[in-house]
Formats: sequence, C-alpha cells, structure tokens
Amino acid sequence: MLEELSLNVLDIAMNSLSAGARRVEVSVVESHRHDFLILRVRDNGRGMDAATLTRVLNQRTTGKQSRKKNIGLGLAMLRQTCEMCDGHFHVRSAPEQGTSVTASMRLSHIDRPPLGDLNSTILSLCAANDDVDVRLKYRTDQETFNFSSQEGKPHEPRRTQETERKSSTTSRAA
Amino acid sequence: MNLEELKKLKEKAQRQVALRDGNKKYRVVFSMGTSGIAAGAREIMTTMLDEIDKRGLDDVEVAVTGEIGLVDAEPMIRIEEANGEKVTYARVNAADARKIVTEHLEKGKVVEGLAVGKVKE
Repeated sequence: MLEELSLNVLDIAMNSLSAGARRVEVSVVESHRHDFLILRVRDNGRGMDAATLTRVLNQRTTGKQSRKKNIGLGLAMLRQTCEMCDGHFHVRSAPEQGTSVTASMRLSHIDRPPLGDLNSTILSLCAANDDVDVRLKYRTDQETFNFSSQEGKPHEPRRTQETERKSSTTSRAA
Repeated sequence: MNLEELKKLKEKAQRQVALRDGNKKYRVVFSMGTSGIAAGAREIMTTMLDEIDKRGLDDVEVAVTGEIGLVDAEPMIRIEEANGEKVTYARVNAADARKIVTEHLEKGKVVEGLAVGKVKE
C-alpha cells in the first residue's frame, strides 16, 4: 500500500507518461463542506481497450502478460482505498482516447490516507518529462489553484537573468 | 498542502525543468514504477533535483523509467554517462542521494559502496 494519496497520483500519472501522453491533468477537489475528496488523473495517451481495462482493474490477474503489469496493482490499490473510505472508483478509457481515472472518498473517513506531498508529485512529473504538459487543478471550498508546466515557457519569456539562462538551455526542445 | 506551497512549486518546477534536455554528460534515470514509488523514489528524486540545483550542475539530465524487476532493491537510480558507462545504485536513501550527486555527478567518482551494477561497454 502506498502511504499517501499523492503517491497514488504519481503512480497513475507515471503510467500516463508511459502511455505516451502529451498532457496529464491532475485535479484534486477537497470539500470540507460536502465532506469529500476527489482525485482525477486524466491524460491523452494511447488509452486501453475494454479487455485490458478489465485486466488491469483485477488485482489477481496481473501477471506476466505484458510490461504494463504494474498498472493493475496500482489501480487496484487505489480502488481498494476508495472503497474502504466510502468512495467510488472509476476508470474511463478507450484506445487512442486517453485515460481518465477518478477516485473519490469521504474526506473525514478515519481510514482515508493523507493527501501527502502533492508538490513533490507534481515536481517529479514535471522533471520526468519536459515536453509533457503537466497540469494541476486544486480546489477547496474557498479557493482554486491552477498550475501548468508549459506556462512560462520560452515563447512568453519574462526578461530576467533567470529566464534568459533557462531559455538558452530549453529552447532546443521547443 | 496549501496554496502558498503550490505557488512556490510553480517557480521550482520551472527551474528544475531546465535540467531536462539536451545531450548532457550525465543522465540520471529514476525507477518510478509502483514498487519504486512505494519504496520512496519520489523523495529520492526531489532530493537529487534539489542537490543538483543547489550545486548548479548543468551537465545532468533526468529521466524516469518504469518497473525494472528488482523490486526489493528499490529505490534505484541508474546513471548513464555520455561515454556509454552505466552505474546502478540500489536501496538509495536521501543521504545516499546527496552523496551520489556530490561524488558521482560533481566529481565523477562512482560511489562504490552503493553501486550494484557497473556495465562497461
């Protein structure tokens, strides 16, 4: 079991990267008023067909079929956590249509793991692949925060020493 | 987790993304499969990024890989040099991660005690 929900998010998002996603969107909605927590990881990677989807959701059948074997374990673990915490778990995916994983749980449930260090999760994702647009939407009852790793890229440079140094090293990738 | 932290994250991410491209002397590959993550690969990665950033090493690029198969040896890091030499470090903790940056990436010396596989091609 992963100790923090943000580690689950990282795990799922890493699979998005290996599925060739160009955009990975993590959204976290934390509502004390309605007492729920929703995590969603959505990507535009190559997606899965129905058979693969059934297989990866079933913990017991994950095995040596393919290199993607560990997708199954990761998703199954998160599903277990959701069900344990009065929540729901849903995966929507189709070939070439990307994948969307939604996990919800009751915020005040005693077994709900802490969200943990979501910062490090997003940072690791950004560092793992520069060309992928990693987005984070974080919403609470009062506030909303949006982050995108592609904002502030060389095409809209702020003229400081910092960005000048950076654009000289990153422009090749653009 | 609060919004202040998230704002800091923005700046930090932009700086660290600069670590990630081109033909650098060193390529650091983190094993980020489920088992790696469960063993603490995320903290190892952020620690190393932090140390690389602090020391201003710009001849390093970072990448990730999925499961390697050596689940009990996680967290693992592989360092690939431009000349084809590869060194794998296993069961790395935060202190080891910093040591690998200062010894291997900065001074070019393999940290012998931590390396498990060294392939010369």
